[in-house]
Amino acid sequence: MSGALLEIEGLSCRFGGLLALDSLDLAVEPGALAGLIGPNGAGKTTCFNLITGRVRPSGGNVRFQGRPLAGLRPSRVNRLGVARTFQNIRLFDDLTVLENVLVGFHGRLKANFLSAILRLPAYAREDRRMHDRGLELLDLVGLGRLGQERASNLAYGQQRLLEIARALATGPRLLLLDEPAAGMNPNETAALARLVRRLRDDMGISVLLIEHDMHFVMNLCESLTVLDHGRVIARGAPREVQSDPAVIEAYLGAGLETAPLEGGHA
Amino acid sequence: MSLAGRIFKAGPLPDAAGTRRRDTWLTLAACALGGGLLWLAENQAGGYVVHMLTLSGLFVVLAVSYNLINGFTGQFSLEPNAFVACGAYVTALLTISPLEKEASFILEPLIWPLSVIHLPLLPALLIAGLCTALMAFVMGFPVFRVRGDYLAIVTLGFGEVVRVVANNAQSVTNGPLGLKGIAHLTNLWWAWGLAGATLFVVVRLVHSSYGRALKAIREDETAAEAMGINAFWHKMLAFTLSAFFEGMAGGLLAHLITTISPSLFTFFMTFNLLIIIVVGGLGSTTGAVLGAILFTFGGEWLRVVEEPATLFGLDIPGIPGMRMVVFSLILVGVMLFARQGILGRNEFSWRWLLARLGMGRGRA
Amino acid sequence: MDLLQQFINGLTLGSLYAMIAIGYTMVYGILRLINFAHGDVMMVGCYAAWFGAAQFGLPWWVSLPVAMALTALLGVAIDQGAYRPLRRAPRISALITAIGVSFFLENLGLVIFGGRPKAFARPEIFNQIYQWGELRVLSLSVWTPVITALILAGLLLVIYRTRVGMAMRAVSRDISTVELMGVDSNRIVALTFALGSALAAAGGVFWAMKYPQLNPLLGVLPGLKAFVAAVLGGIGNVAGAMLGGLILGLAEIMLVALMPDLAGYRDALAFVLLIGILLFRPTGIMGEKLPE
Repeated sequence: MSGALLEIEGLSCRFGGLLALDSLDLAVEPGALAGLIGPNGAGKTTCFNLITGRVRPSGGNVRFQGRPLAGLRPSRVNRLGVARTFQNIRLFDDLTVLENVLVGFHGRLKANFLSAILRLPAYAREDRRMHDRGLELLDLVGLGRLGQERASNLAYGQQRLLEIARALATGPRLLLLDEPAAGMNPNETAALARLVRRLRDDMGISVLLIEHDMHFVMNLCESLTVLDHGRVIARGAPREVQSDPAVIEAYLGAGLETAPLEGGHA
Repeated sequence: MSLAGRIFKAGPLPDAAGTRRRDTWLTLAACALGGGLLWLAENQAGGYVVHMLTLSGLFVVLAVSYNLINGFTGQFSLEPNAFVACGAYVTALLTISPLEKEASFILEPLIWPLSVIHLPLLPALLIAGLCTALMAFVMGFPVFRVRGDYLAIVTLGFGEVVRVVANNAQSVTNGPLGLKGIAHLTNLWWAWGLAGATLFVVVRLVHSSYGRALKAIREDETAAEAMGINAFWHKMLAFTLSAFFEGMAGGLLAHLITTISPSLFTFFMTFNLLIIIVVGGLGSTTGAVLGAILFTFGGEWLRVVEEPATLFGLDIPGIPGMRMVVFSLILVGVMLFARQGILGRNEFSWRWLLARLGMGRGRA
Repeated sequence: MDLLQQFINGLTLGSLYAMIAIGYTMVYGILRLINFAHGDVMMVGCYAAWFGAAQFGLPWWVSLPVAMALTALLGVAIDQGAYRPLRRAPRISALITAIGVSFFLENLGLVIFGGRPKAFARPEIFNQIYQWGELRVLSLSVWTPVITALILAGLLLVIYRTRVGMAMRAVSRDISTVELMGVDSNRIVALTFALGSALAAAGGVFWAMKYPQLNPLLGVLPGLKAFVAAVLGGIGNVAGAMLGGLILGLAEIMLVALMPDLAGYRDALAFVLLIGILLFRPTGIMGEKLPE
């Protein structure tokens, strides 16, 4: 447990009378490919918002590489090595695809604004490197030809990929993906699964993802945590979770689209 | 699309460095041409035209820096009158001779050491710019805790507070009487020199990684934060930088009109700047420059409506004050029918101009 | 004794702020728009009442309701003409438009009426001195809070006891859902502007009687301060706006009474308060929503 990359203990979040997250415990080991699943409103996105400092927890702690994240600004959490994507895509619409990725590098820029204005050699070097790396990242996610396009002109699935490229630009050790496959067709989903696996295998980035597409989750994730009404109802390898009666009950009881057993996409 | 967008749109061409060098030479040539025109104006044109040209240079400084915070960073604020006031008072207090100061401060003497300081214009301007930037920095802490229309009203409140202080802090500002006998030192070269410096800094900043960060904050602050950009400090950067230039423009304004008093720095001044950047196009530096020049000369041209005239044999009495009514209608009209203003977020670029002239190889 | 006198003055000023603040808070509650022109709408109300009284010789109890009605029409016209086309535009666009409308009214006022102040005659009933022991109070100072209280009680009745009031509250909670339920939200918005503007006119007329001079810029400062009062009380909340207005009025009068040295800074007090509230309690005293 002590070697975990991300440790969450007793994390709770209350909105008015609603307990969105009830004393969650979760650990993400280095090199993990972990999934967080559960019916709508189970508290999955809230969990991401709490980790990244967007929402203040009502109780509990989050540690990243042993360092408490409580009370830090989202930008600070990001610079410690936690990057995320958003369920409802939040790109910088009026910027180009490449510019969106370049923004991701900015948090780690060393040159100060004066050297940027005067285009001192130190800044110029960094700027060139950012451009080269940015183009590489776009190639990696398969948007290499679209760098000069306006971000809002991309197709839905491409926008999701751009969010991942932008998050990668911030140089994360842990990547939080919020429904990365939503709105993608089966081909795109398969390519996404390959991409996520490459991030872990080739780049050593640990991944925690929220997803409704059970086929995607079952094939990709090596461990799962199931939330319902803000509580963990099951955790373990996909195969174990799949046959857990509490999980089946939560999905069927909630009257949700598909039960996890059927493995279609939600 | 922004200029940065246009440059990228062409892609990292093999001759990108060559294009950049070409653009630099073209810009330098344009500056030389502009300088020549100013020289010509100074020597050939009448005093009135020179005055208007000088004033339009100051408006360019103000509009371009105001647009940095409102247009590029997307933080709609209403405080430039406070910054201009601060810069004007600081510069004037530093350049007026001690004798003159003793003579003007009738009700309460000016506090030491201001009473004995006597500086040339350039150091006084720089100090004024720094003081104004410092004021913006301090203001920024409460101001950037809120967003949207609350930001607008808080910054407007700051403008009012500065005016009230200028009216009451007798021993520094001479109260409602204001400061008189400021030397007429601002000429075409000062005004357009500062305009050039402002343009250089703002354009370079906007095209740098910092500019991308500011635009990211404008587009989606939550996402920008999540990508490791500290939104608060970046807003502060844009705010203090724009205050620095607005403060210096205030100093030059004081040395152009030679008398200042608190009633000069009301919300009215901010309103004029708002028209300029809205008409030019929020988020376009080119638009801000265009808007400033249009405003200065358009305002003069609009004097027609205030003077008696004969139209088709009818005598129309002049209506004093009508200009401002027209300006307000223009602002409302632009918002209702042409929200992008003249340029939207587009910028001038040499590539565009050359393509227009049929000389460029690149796409426009 | 002196303190009591000041207290009554503060109450009078506070009721005026309250009456103007309600218009801000109702419009903000529904449209999330700071109706920048509200103070200038109040100015128009003052001139309307002045015309009625000085030009047509109407008694105050006729010219006041007439002024309120005309001003209500103006409020609705501004909304329909300038704000309604921008309902789906970014909120800042509507704010810029509101600033434009505000300047338009002020400058049109300057063109029509000129910058020279016009004297506003106090009706006899408001111009007497009431004396209780050592306490001498202008009748206007007593009547203003009383009439304000009556008007506001009527308003609260409308908001909480009628169908229209219920619709207004519903629209301010969730405009799109209410539209789905078949309520014509546009009518409700128009009604909000009418009510808010009429109240501003009433506040303005009493303002003009208190400081018996009219000029086209008279709405600017009370307007801004009333907005601060609305934020202080919790924007979107009618009762909060009243409370905020009273607090601001009392605070201003007490500042002048207790610290005469700082009297000149009176006009800055509202904004210092505003910055304080936004720092420590951005939702105001009675508000629930966070400014976003």
